[in-house]
Amino acid sequence: MSIRHGLLALLSSAPRYGYQLRVEFEASTGATWPLNIGQVYTTLSRLERDGLVAPGGADEQGRAVYTITEAGREELERWFSTPVDHSDRPRDELVIKIAMAVAATDVDVGEVIQAQRMAGMRTLQDLTRAKRATGGGLAQRLVLESMIFKVEAEQRWLDHCEAVVKEKNQ
Amino acid sequence: MTVVELRDVTREHGQVHALRGVSLEVGQGELVAVMGPSGSGKSTLLNLAGGLDRPTSGAVLIEGRDLAGVRDLAALRRGSVGYVFQDLNLIPSLTAAENVMLPRELDGVRAAQARREALAVLADVGVDQIADRFPEELSGGQRQRVAIARALVGERRLLLADEPTGALDTATGDEILHLLRERCDAGAAVLLVTHEPRYAAWADRVVYLRDGLIAEASAVRLESSR
Repeated sequence: MSIRHGLLALLSSAPRYGYQLRVEFEASTGATWPLNIGQVYTTLSRLERDGLVAPGGADEQGRAVYTITEAGREELERWFSTPVDHSDRPRDELVIKIAMAVAATDVDVGEVIQAQRMAGMRTLQDLTRAKRATGGGLAQRLVLESMIFKVEAEQRWLDHCEAVVKEKNQ
Repeated sequence: MTVVELRDVTREHGQVHALRGVSLEVGQGELVAVMGPSGSGKSTLLNLAGGLDRPTSGAVLIEGRDLAGVRDLAALRRGSVGYVFQDLNLIPSLTAAENVMLPRELDGVRAAQARREALAVLADVGVDQIADRFPEELSGGQRQRVAIARALVGERRLLLADEPTGALDTATGDEILHLLRERCDAGAAVLLVTHEPRYAAWADRVVYLRDGLIAEASAVRLESSR
């Protein structure tokens, strides 16, 4: 689930306390997914339970600071390297994943984009096969085409991300 | 049966490595799409596959023949390879049928025979009723069908298509892909270069060129997000 992974991504560069995580999460995702502080602390305590983060003392004002663990880094790496399935996701997860990959220093954004692009292409191939199989059914064809246009839009957006990231890195 | 094969092909233009060790096979009845950003080597790959260009290293085989050992590439191209491009397609002063007859007449086939073949292949692609019209009298989709007929005439089994849907709307573009797909199912091998995912999705296999190297859309494990 992407709040978990979003917080892990933010913690991968440095330890942070809860409020800081909330502000940076919203900044990275362009406020597509506003978080309340309660969600942040609930998620942090679950991450701690799962051994993915560890509380590392407090700052001057007594706020608990969290650090990512080795297991947390492995989980984050797995998340970045696995494309999102089209069938049942909340659509925003891909956007959050790309935003976090761009913000992180040690993630190959190009690889994340390419894996997603290939996964999207397989979905498009399935939809196109289904479209051929409908024969003359107009309504069915238009429904499938609506899905084709959505995946196509995502592919174009990925192309755009790749081009912009490449330009910024030059 | 493999119709065209690239074996570890590189192509350098001066200091630029357009392709850096690409291997690819297209079999009979197979539609393979090549995608990639501009400058990734897509057109270079298509030119090499059709014998319009020679590799710096590696080998290109068409129907089992290594092109390095072929003296008359032009004759082999006329006999085995058909091309469809986005534009520069039809000769405006010739009718649809005459455009399709042209490659056969260049091969020394008599005009009456060439016309019979042209009408047959125009019927295969669904435009025999406009055989005697000139290109400017045809719609974009009809023109592209005539161009595909010309690429197929004479039993050529390898079709190379470079952005064949270029200026067409999506419904007409889909018809062109449907047609290419049917020609594959009838036994042709098609190598399609496109930058549009919706058209690449008609292919059996989609390969991505990035910086002169190939990545294939093969099985990648998906993560369910819940």
